[in-house]
Amino acid sequence: MTRVATVMKLQFVNRRTYVGMPLIILSGAFLLAILILLLVPTDELKFAGGAVAAPLWYFSVVGWQALALTFPFSQAMSTTRRDFHLGTLLTAATTAGILATIYLVISLIEAATGGWGMNGYFTIPGLSGSQLPVAALSYFVVAFLLFLFGYTCAAIAKRWGGVVLTSVLTGLSILLTLAIMLTIRTGSWGAVVTWFTTQGLLGTTLWGLLLTVLMACGSYLMIRRVEH
Amino acid sequence: MTKVVEVTNLTKRFRNTVALDEVSFNLEPNTIYGLLGRNGAGKTTLMSIITAQAFASSGKVRVFGEEPYENAGVLRRMCFMRDNQAYPDSAKPDHAFRIARLCFPNWNQALAERLVADFRLPVATPIKKLSRGQLSAVGAIIGLAARAEVTFFDEPYLGFDAAAREIFYDRLLEDYAEHPRTIVLSSHLIDEIANILERVIVLDNGRVLLNDATDDLRDRAMVIRGDNTKVAAFTAGRAVIHRQALGALSAVTVLGHLTHQDRAALAANDLEVSPVTLQQLVVRATQAAAGTAADQGAAR
Repeated sequence: MTRVATVMKLQFVNRRTYVGMPLIILSGAFLLAILILLLVPTDELKFAGGAVAAPLWYFSVVGWQALALTFPFSQAMSTTRRDFHLGTLLTAATTAGILATIYLVISLIEAATGGWGMNGYFTIPGLSGSQLPVAALSYFVVAFLLFLFGYTCAAIAKRWGGVVLTSVLTGLSILLTLAIMLTIRTGSWGAVVTWFTTQGLLGTTLWGLLLTVLMACGSYLMIRRVEH
Repeated sequence: MTKVVEVTNLTKRFRNTVALDEVSFNLEPNTIYGLLGRNGAGKTTLMSIITAQAFASSGKVRVFGEEPYENAGVLRRMCFMRDNQAYPDSAKPDHAFRIARLCFPNWNQALAERLVADFRLPVATPIKKLSRGQLSAVGAIIGLAARAEVTFFDEPYLGFDAAAREIFYDRLLEDYAEHPRTIVLSSHLIDEIANILERVIVLDNGRVLLNDATDDLRDRAMVIRGDNTKVAAFTAGRAVIHRQALGALSAVTVLGHLTHQDRAALAANDLEVSPVTLQQLVVRATQAAAGTAADQGAAR
């Protein structure tokens, strides 16, 4: 356990990457969103939309750096790959947890003040009670998932090279586009929307959690064989 | 004494090349080794595999009698500092030392601090802004202060000035005298480190060419200088590893010991004999190996 904690300390050497940057992006997006909401002259419900997702995207960059820049040093520090993997994922979980907590606090304030007294929301509007922690949990899962996406991409690049990574990403994009095309052609958008509605926010979040676990295991198998 | 590292029939193939070809040797405890060889001889690959950072295509590595891969108990007793060691993005030397202190059980903070002063390393400057020599100092300090039972230094002094190199050798010997351990130095500056090496392993084209005590190696070859015909007569039938001719004079490097009769013959023929330096020996040996390989290639 102490060895895993050492890896966490090693990752947190990059305090700017893990804490500084996400906080700057979050507070920047938050202030900008509030300013814009103030400018919109309506009493109807206002939602800042994508602003809340800004720090989440950055997590894929953090995930990439966690492996590409810190793994070689952890090897020089005679750390096992298992300890590196566990320590790094715990670091990511901690950071995602901090971000989700901030998100929860903002959503609680917005619920209590009716959207800062102007019906304007930075977090997902229209939620109350137990839905708020669930929304925070999904925020956590998405951040963690994007971290693992960057981390897994870096693992693929280290294990098999940049060409393979580009091929995998291109392949995934094509598959995704085909899936969307198929959904449109067969007229099954309704079914897809219904599925998500039945799952609800919690259900969808749990599916995301499952994907996270799969990626965590998959990237571990890669990192076990990365050569240095 | 038991071996600290045992390498048996280690082979490493990359797509088109064989980086290591059936390499076998042992490392003894409390010895300073020189791992020598030309660029691309397989030195870094070999050290990477011993420290479980890379994988062998076939063959076996045992460290303290155990498989090192994912073996935390074995890994923490080893330290491998690369010439191009990467550090976390925003790390400063201070950070790196603090982490090393947590990772290596024998870490000595006083030694680290003394080395920082000796190398005049700015510890609060981001590592990516350091000069090449300062970057090497970070690795050298970690490698020395870690006091790992098996320490590998891959070209530890790239960018070091003469003063810094001397500090490195002095501190290494001082600390080694008080805390003996197995140290492997991979280097191109053979003559400069020859005095501190107890044993030498020479790799050439992925094979072990020499694996001997440094003193034995020095005795093993000599340079015979003098008149062309007399030198040719004396060296006939001996293992010649290098020939150099300058007008009527030539200098020939031969392997083997000199008998009393040999010495008498040398004196009678006015031939001069001088020892080879370790560097000459290694260069000649690798050249001779390349020559043999070329001959075999031509014969085929």
